[in-house]
This record gives sequence, C-alpha cells and structure tokens, in this order.
Amino acid sequence: MSLKQALKGATLFDFMGAFVLGMKVYFRRKPTVNYPFEKGPLSPRFRGEHALRRYPNGEERCIACKLCEAICPAQAITIEAEPRDDGSRRTTRYDIDMTKCIYCGLCQEACPVDAIVEGPNFEYATETREELFYDKEHLLSNGDRWEREIAKNLELDGKYR
Amino acid sequence: MADVATIKIIVDGQEIAVPGEYTLLQACEAAGAQIPRFCYHERLSVAGNCRMCLVEVKGAPKAVASCSQQVKDQRPGPNGEPAEVITNSEKVKASRKGVMEFLLINHPLDCPICDQGGECDLQDQSLVYGGEHSRFGEGKRAVEVKYMGPLIKTAMTRCIQCTRCVRFATEVAGVPELGAIGRGEDMEITTYLEAALTSELSGNVVDLCPVGALTSRPYAFNARPWELKKTESIDVMDALGSNIRVDARGTEVLRVEPRVNDDVNEEWLSDKGRHACDGLRRQRLDKPYLRKNGKLEAITWPEALAVFADKLRGDPSKIGLITGDLNDAESQKAAFDLCEVLKIENRDCRQDGAAISTDAGRAGYLFNSTISGIEMADALLIIGSNPRLEAPVLNARIRKSYLAGALKSIALVGESADLTYPYEYLGEQTKILEELSKGKTDFFKKFAEAKYPMIIVGMGALIGDVGSKILKLIGEIGLRAKIVRDDWNGWNILHSAASRVAGLDIGLIPTKNGLNTKQMLAPEALDVLILLGADEIAAPSTAFKIYIGSHGDRGAHDADLILPSPAYTEKNGIYVNLEGRVQYAYAAVEAKGEAKEEWAIFRAVSQELGKPLPYDNLQELREKLKADSPSFAATAGEIAPSAALDLRHIGETGAAVNATIGGVIIDYYLTNPIARASETMAKCSASRLGVVPENMAAE
Amino acid sequence: MRDLVEQFGPLWGSVLGIAQILGFAILLLLTLAFILLFDRKVWAAVMMRKGPNVVGPFGLFQSFADFLKFVFKEIVIPAAANKTVFVIAPILTLVLAFITWAVVPLAPGWVISDMNVGILYLLAISSLGVYGIIMGGWASNSKYPFLGALRSAAQMVSYEVSIGFVIVTVLLLVGSLNLTQIVNHQSAGLWDWHGFSFIGALLHGGSPIKIAMAFVTGIIMFMMMWIFFISALAETNRPPFDLPEAESELVAGYQVEYSATLYLLFMVGEYLNIVLMCAMISILFLGGWNLPWGEVTNPYIGFLVLYTKIWFVFFLFAMVKAFVPRYRYDQLMRIGWKVFLPTTLVAVAVVGANVTFFGG
Repeated sequence: MSLKQALKGATLFDFMGAFVLGMKVYFRRKPTVNYPFEKGPLSPRFRGEHALRRYPNGEERCIACKLCEAICPAQAITIEAEPRDDGSRRTTRYDIDMTKCIYCGLCQEACPVDAIVEGPNFEYATETREELFYDKEHLLSNGDRWEREIAKNLELDGKYR
Repeated sequence: MADVATIKIIVDGQEIAVPGEYTLLQACEAAGAQIPRFCYHERLSVAGNCRMCLVEVKGAPKAVASCSQQVKDQRPGPNGEPAEVITNSEKVKASRKGVMEFLLINHPLDCPICDQGGECDLQDQSLVYGGEHSRFGEGKRAVEVKYMGPLIKTAMTRCIQCTRCVRFATEVAGVPELGAIGRGEDMEITTYLEAALTSELSGNVVDLCPVGALTSRPYAFNARPWELKKTESIDVMDALGSNIRVDARGTEVLRVEPRVNDDVNEEWLSDKGRHACDGLRRQRLDKPYLRKNGKLEAITWPEALAVFADKLRGDPSKIGLITGDLNDAESQKAAFDLCEVLKIENRDCRQDGAAISTDAGRAGYLFNSTISGIEMADALLIIGSNPRLEAPVLNARIRKSYLAGALKSIALVGESADLTYPYEYLGEQTKILEELSKGKTDFFKKFAEAKYPMIIVGMGALIGDVGSKILKLIGEIGLRAKIVRDDWNGWNILHSAASRVAGLDIGLIPTKNGLNTKQMLAPEALDVLILLGADEIAAPSTAFKIYIGSHGDRGAHDADLILPSPAYTEKNGIYVNLEGRVQYAYAAVEAKGEAKEEWAIFRAVSQELGKPLPYDNLQELREKLKADSPSFAATAGEIAPSAALDLRHIGETGAAVNATIGGVIIDYYLTNPIARASETMAKCSASRLGVVPENMAAE
Repeated sequence: MRDLVEQFGPLWGSVLGIAQILGFAILLLLTLAFILLFDRKVWAAVMMRKGPNVVGPFGLFQSFADFLKFVFKEIVIPAAANKTVFVIAPILTLVLAFITWAVVPLAPGWVISDMNVGILYLLAISSLGVYGIIMGGWASNSKYPFLGALRSAAQMVSYEVSIGFVIVTVLLLVGSLNLTQIVNHQSAGLWDWHGFSFIGALLHGGSPIKIAMAFVTGIIMFMMMWIFFISALAETNRPPFDLPEAESELVAGYQVEYSATLYLLFMVGEYLNIVLMCAMISILFLGGWNLPWGEVTNPYIGFLVLYTKIWFVFFLFAMVKAFVPRYRYDQLMRIGWKVFLPTTLVAVAVVGANVTFFGG
C-alpha cells in the first residue's frame, strides 16, 4: 500500500468525493413517473398482454393454422382445432401459458391474419398462478376490450413492416 | 430387367447406363439429379400434364417434360455420342419457374387453413421455383367443393389438375369413378354424380394429391405434420401386415399413413387400416371390471388377478382359451405358455372356426407365392374369398398383375363380387371343386397349362362344418395342376386375421383331446373361458368368461371379468403376416388408463398361481418365442423358409361333401372391435349402404 | 424515578415514572417511523427517485402503513424451527434496543436513569444485542440464516472492540462514565466538542508543548469520531457493512425465515440501535445538547438541539448507504482488526499520556 493510498484511505478522500457527488444529485429534478396516476408513453410495438382479435363483423380471426404454436420459442401456446359446424377451420382450444411466455412477439409476427397480437396492456397481475393460464375465451375477451388500441397500434406500425 | 439392353445417356455431364425404357426422369434420378414433379408418380401411368419436370435436352429446341420421354427415344449426337440431358441450367430453372407461376395463378393463397400445409409438394417446390411476388392481377378461379365420401375432404380450388387421383382410381383401385370434366381453366376433377368412391383404397388419393385439394376428412384441421410423433408400426386390420406409420400427438393417435414396402403394400393402405384409428379413442377398456350381481364394477388389478387366478385353479379340462384377430405374437405366446403350464388343452387361435391346421407343416397355411409373387403368376383360382374386402391392397396387386398382362386367366369359386378385374365365375357349390379336382372344366385346362398357377383359398371355404374336407378337395386340385414345384409354390391361404399366422406358428390349436372353438362354445362345455381379444364369437352363458382386450365390444360386453390391455398402437409387438413375414411394430402412444400388456397379465397370473412363466420382460419373452418357434427368428421384414409342402397332407379325407361356399366379410368397415368403435368406419359403412349424412355435403 | 417517588410519593411517583418511560418510548417509536421514511427518501434522492410519496402528504405515513402491513400478515414459523427460541430472538433484540436508551440524556436533566456508570451500562447492553441475532439465525434451522447469524456475530464482536477503545478515549478526557457529565464537559462551544477539540487546543493557550499535545489529541479525537462513525455502521449492520443480510449472498441473512410481526420486531430493534448510535455520536463527539456557540440550560432547547444533531448524523448514515458499495467480508474484518484496532489502541495511549502528563 503506497503512502498516497494510505493517506487517501485515512482521510476518506474517495468518500468525500462520493458525498459531494451524492449531494449534487440529491437536489436534481426527479424523473420519477408517478406510476398508477401517470404513465409513460408506449411504443406501438409494445409487446404486452396477448389478445385474440375479431373481424369487425364479430367473426374470430384465428384460423388455427398453428404457426404461432410452431414458432413459439417457449412453447407457451397450445392449439387444438376441428372443423366448426359451418365447416370452417377454427380452434377448439387456444391456450397461452403466460407464465411460460417470454413476450418475444414471434407469435404476432407469424400470424397470417393478425389474430394473435400482443396488446398494449401490461397491468394484468393476478393473485394466483392459475389465472395466468389463458384460454381462448379469455384471449378473445382481451381482444374485444383492447381492439381500439390494438388496431391503432397496428396501423401506426404498419408502414414499417 | 436384366435382359433389357442398357443405353448410355449423359445427365449433367455424368454418363450413366440405364434401361432403354426408363423415362428421362428416371434416368436423371438414377444419375442423382432431383427433378421436381407433380403429376408423375412411380406407380401410376405417365400423364405429363404438370410440366414441372422440364429438363433441357441437347439438340431439342425447347425444354422437354422428362417424365414423358423415354431414354431410348433420344437422338444421339452427330458422332453417335450419347444424348445429353441438363437438369440444372438457367434455362431449366427459368422454364420451371414459369410453370410454377402458371400453376400458382389459380392456386389460392390459403396455406394457413390448408391441411396439406407443411407436407405440400407445391409449397415445398414453390420455395425453390416460386417467384417472390405475384404478377397476376385478375380474379382467381374458384371451384365448388365436391363430395367424395366420408374419407376425402375436397377443396377443388386448390387442385392443379395433375390427375394423379384419377389415374389411381382407374388403375390401382379399379373403380373408374373419378374423372375430369371441362377443359383448360374450367377443368374440374369430380366423382360421377358426386358420389362417394366405392373403393376400399380411396384414402390413398389423399396421399397422392400433391396439393391440398384432397385431404383426409376425419383428420381435417386436427394437427400439423410437425406436431406429430411418427412411429413405425404394422397394420392389423387385415392379415396383409401393411407397413404403417402411426402419427400421434400426445396420447392420441391422429392418423395412420402407409410406409413403402414393395414386398407387402407398395405404398398403399386400405381405408380400414388408415381410418379406423379414431376407434382407438372410443369404447376403450381402462380399468379391470368384475361382474357382481349381474353388473360390471371397476376393481383394482390385484383383485382382478386374484379372481383370474382363482378361476384358473379349477379342472384344466373345463378351462378354454380363444384368441382373437388383432393380437401380437407375444401375447399369444404368453397365453400359449400359460396353457402349457396349466395343462389347458382347449385353446384355439381360430375364432372363426376355420379348418386350417399345422398338419401339413408351415407352408400349409401360408400365402406361399408371396404378395409380390402375384405379379409373376399367370393363372389364378380364388376359392371362397373376396380379396377386395379381405385384403384390398393384395387385391390391387392382383389387378396390377392383370393390367400388366401377366395374369391371363382368373377364376372364382364362391360368392361372386366385383373384384375390379374380370374373372371366370365357376359357381359356389363344392361340386365344382370336385370337378376341378378331377381335371374337368375348361378353366382347369388353362390352369394346368399355366406356368405359374396360383390358388388362393379364402376363409369362406374353410369356416363351414366341412371346411377340412373342402380343403382336401382344393389340395387335390393343386396336386393335379402341379402348383407346388421346386421353383414355385402356388398354394396360398388368404387369412383374414392379422394374428392368425403367428398363432399357428406358436401352436395355439387344441391338442388331440382338446376342444376347438366350436366345441368350446357349446353350452356346458366349459366352466371358464378366456377370451384374448376374441369378439367375433357368441360365448356360452354358462361359462365364466374372462376377456382380455382393448375395446368394450361384444367380448367385453358378455364377460364376467374384464382385463384391459393396450391396442396395437400402444405396445411393441411382433406380427406375422399371411406370407409368414415377421414384422415388428413399435408403441406410438401410452396405453389407456390402467391397461397392462397381455403377456404381463399372463405372467402376473402365473405368478399368482405359483407357476411363473420363464420371462420377466418382453426381451426374454421374445428370446423364448424365437427358441420355441424358429420361424420368428427371421430378420424383421423377412420370411423364414419353411419345409417343402406336400399337398397330400392338406385337409381331411371324408365322404363327398355337398356344400355352398360363402363369403366371410359382411361389412368391410366393421370387421373388428377397433373398426366398430370408429366413427369414421360407421360413416363409411353408412355411406356404402347409400346413406349420406346431411352435414357431409355442406362445406 | 427515585426523584419522582421522593417528590410525589410511592403511588403517583411510580405512575409518573412509568408514564415518563412510556412517553419516551412513544417518542422513540415516532422518531423511528420518520427516520425510516427519511432513510428511504435520502436513498431515493441520491438515485434521482422520489421515494415513497403515496401514503399521506409526501408519503409521511408510509411507515405506519408498513407497520400495519407487518402486523396484519401471517406469522410463519418454519416447521423445523425451534419455536421458543425463534419467537424469543426478535423480542430480545427489541427489548435490548429499548433499555439501552434508559441512560441516554436527551436534554439537561431529561434522562430516565442518570447513573454514574452510564457508558458501562451501554457497553454491556449493546454487547448483548448479538444474542438476538445469533438466536434468530440458529432457531430458524436453515442454512442462510445460520450463516448470516455467524457473520453478524463475528462482525459485531470485532467492531465492539474498537468502539470500546474510542469510548475509552472520551472517558479519559472527561474522567467520568456519566453521559450527562460527558455532555457538560463539551458545554463551552464547538471548539470544545470532542470531535473538534483541536480548535479549542489552539484557543486555550498554555505552554507550547501543552498546546501541541492538546492539538494532537484534538486531531486524534477527530479521527476517533470517524472511526466511531464507521464502527457504528458495522455494529448496526448498516450498509456498506450489511453482510449479515447481504441479499446477493444470503438472501436476507438471519431474517430469512422471519415474517410479519416478528420481522417487524427485528427491524425496529435494528433501527433503534442505529438511532442510538447517532445519539451516541452526538453526545460523545458533537457536544450533545449544547449549541456550537455556547451552553444550553433550557431542557426544551437542549432537546431540540440534540434531536437535530441525531437527525444530522442519521442523514450521514443514510448518505453512506446510498453511495458506498458493500464491502467484502475479508475487507470488513481487515478494517476492523488491522486498521481500527491498532489505531484506537495508539489513540488511547496518546490521549492517556496527554491526560496524565499535561492534564487533558
């Protein structure tokens, strides 16, 4: 240990410097956003809670092509399909395990009909783990609730795709 | 092919020698070049209408369709050098790209909702030859959906008019019901009057279709190919032992597809083998049941085994065992060993009561000519069989041989039916057999003169009371026509049960003092009757019936004790087909519920009785099987050679018989417990009877 | 208390005495509530955050909300824990933290027990504090708490030594163990506060050698103040010496298995000790209730002055937490045994020599 170092230690030189810096920062304007009362802006590409969308006439968009299931790197999506009574191809089961999901957005990239999307909602904490196993009904109701925002985001981001 | 002169040809600068009647496409393949194709198929006639297989031939002004020109027709070079084919030039690529663009003009962009997605030839090839965007601004063609029966779902807008399906129906299946109407853009593939295909091989057009125009209706929208776990297995719906691939997701078998095996099923599969798989999901036995006060109640395995063992402690002469049609060799072996240990002499693997025995050696009950041997035969006498129903793929072989011109004369004794090829109908009385055995009738003359005569004996001739006497008569015909020679064996038994040959190989037939099926089923004959998957019998009410099987069918319905076991897709097993070919099947999915493998049940109950069978796992069981019955030691997929056949030992001599030879199969689609549990098979059966369910036609 | 009994009779004297103690405890707990909030606010400010600001105006009631939360949560006692010891440990910590305050004078005459051996009492009680932690860590019957407790014990024992020596230097100067007398010794003004007595050394005059010695002693006392400050951080498991509960290594150290009220008791005890250390620094080195320019005799003003000093020292504690990263365990031990112990030993010798040969 050199003398200089010893002196520095004994006089708490570094600590004084840190204290001065700390005091300088102390009175700066705080960038804190008062979260539940005010929120930061979200990008149209924000990848939040999943939703299954519908066409304006109320028909569900998902056609059970299973591309999202195939591409999902976390294997969070499970789909089962069958012909519906009118013969069209529809899912009988569309589950997303939100505890597995890594929010990579590949499902919405893969979807040929913009059915599965990651909407702008990120406030969906639940009290139990089971509530995070989303089924088709839940996803469709998400879609209904967030359709306006989702459609706007898709339109805003559309030109960059 | 050895006698055919080979011709030299240069493919992509590489000189090879191929037979002259090879098409250019085959020659290119032989040289290792990959040629894209839609309409060309190895087992169908050449159509040459998709134009995808274009190659450049030196000297030809335009690219030529390689599937439709033969090597021998190519013009040699100016100095006599071999013709030159180029498969990878820019010109070839550009031509194929053009063809692809035309094909895609009217092909809809609905891959996401198409069941062919992921295994589509058009999808795959458009990756290589497709343009990056469409230049087609006009309206696309749309074609109405056609009804083609309960097995085939159509989306004819996707059709690229390769006509593979038309050629298959006409050539292989022998039901010329598919065809094209209209010309050019308006060309449409349709069945006559939009009726279901009346073929037992109709499922194969789905495999043949290179796009998603024809897809499997029961499998519609169920899964994508990449989700499926593929397991190699053996079909048990008929005795042919077709090689299949079981596609399963999770615990469910979703579809069954054929595997290529030129010795057995080429690449075809019967509709029952392909589509009865949804029967594996219904009517399953998942727990042991015991009848208490007339009602079946679920019990635990230890209880069930205790009851089973208790019943086996009685007088062995009052205990009997009948095995069914779908068992693997291992379960029959374990059942046989249990009988040996307990000295049970009443056992039979012939639940239909057919008069086949092991008296004349192994060759006496095999299909000795082999299936591929049919293509060599030049005369065929079918007795008491409808091969179209009993083994549809084998029937397609007969038709193939007939179409190729090899099989010149065919005759049938028994129930007349449409076999998809013309034959001489000789009647259904045994009298005609006597005449034949004495060398009378015109047909016999042709038959005796034939180089490779073949007799196919079906179960219809053998299940009657006088079956063994009929068999003797047929044996005499064979003797007189000299169908068994050193280089040719024309003696063929066409079994209808997948487990039969293995059962006979193991020796699951009554001993001298034992009772056969018919005797066992007599009232008061037995106290305890073990039914190993035997459902096609009427068990007497006086016996305590123990049913071991996978489906809640007739056998389980009557049973007093039910022990669940896995179905054929759920266990590793050995199956021996009618030729004596030893084939291995692998478990594709888990057994349902608490089901235990049959051999394990027999092993467990033998333990309970204090006389354990000498094996603890399947491997040891197979070792013992191979040691006791050497024919099982054959390599997988091979036929063990059997001792020479002496037709004089066939059957049983007796007074002259006078009987009618009938058929066996009443409803092709409902012959076994799995098929009867299948919704698809029920729909097929209804469709064949002329009932079209309302929701089928709508789409 | 004895004064009260003498003044008001046994009954009322006792009642008043207990009321005094209760009032003192309430004052302490209230101080604690706001000190906790202050701690978080300072920390947040240095990180350019706002800190708790939702409960009450400026988040002033945050600590009360936390208190309610802790109280209403379920107490989970691990199945394998020694239940008796597990429950006693936090209670012990809290009780010990409270009773040390008995000898701390808050203003002229404001003290529960103005005993002559106050400092000794303090040392004795604060040495016991380690038991609560050891017991808690052991009773949890879990690996992290046990490791945390071991670390904590070693750390507190190590720094008690140097704290002891630092206090000895003050005792040598004052010549008394009574805390009130220690404060009174610094009544003249800032220059006579023990922490800044090197200024006084220059003012008081005398022979040059005496001035020099006094000056050297003053400088040493200045250093002693900082050593006391740093040792206090270590003694109370404050950052940067919060190794017993280092979350990156031990999850939460000896408190891992504690929840709800029991955890609350631990935390209150810990913070009481921290405030006590702030008070001790104020009393020993910063002149207690005296103003920088002179003596205070009015207890109300005196209390305010001391209270302000305590808050100021705590502010330094909070700042240290905000800008100094955690030490490694070997570094902690090195500083304790190889730097502070020799330094304070030498300091005791020098101050002792000065007092003996030059009369302080």
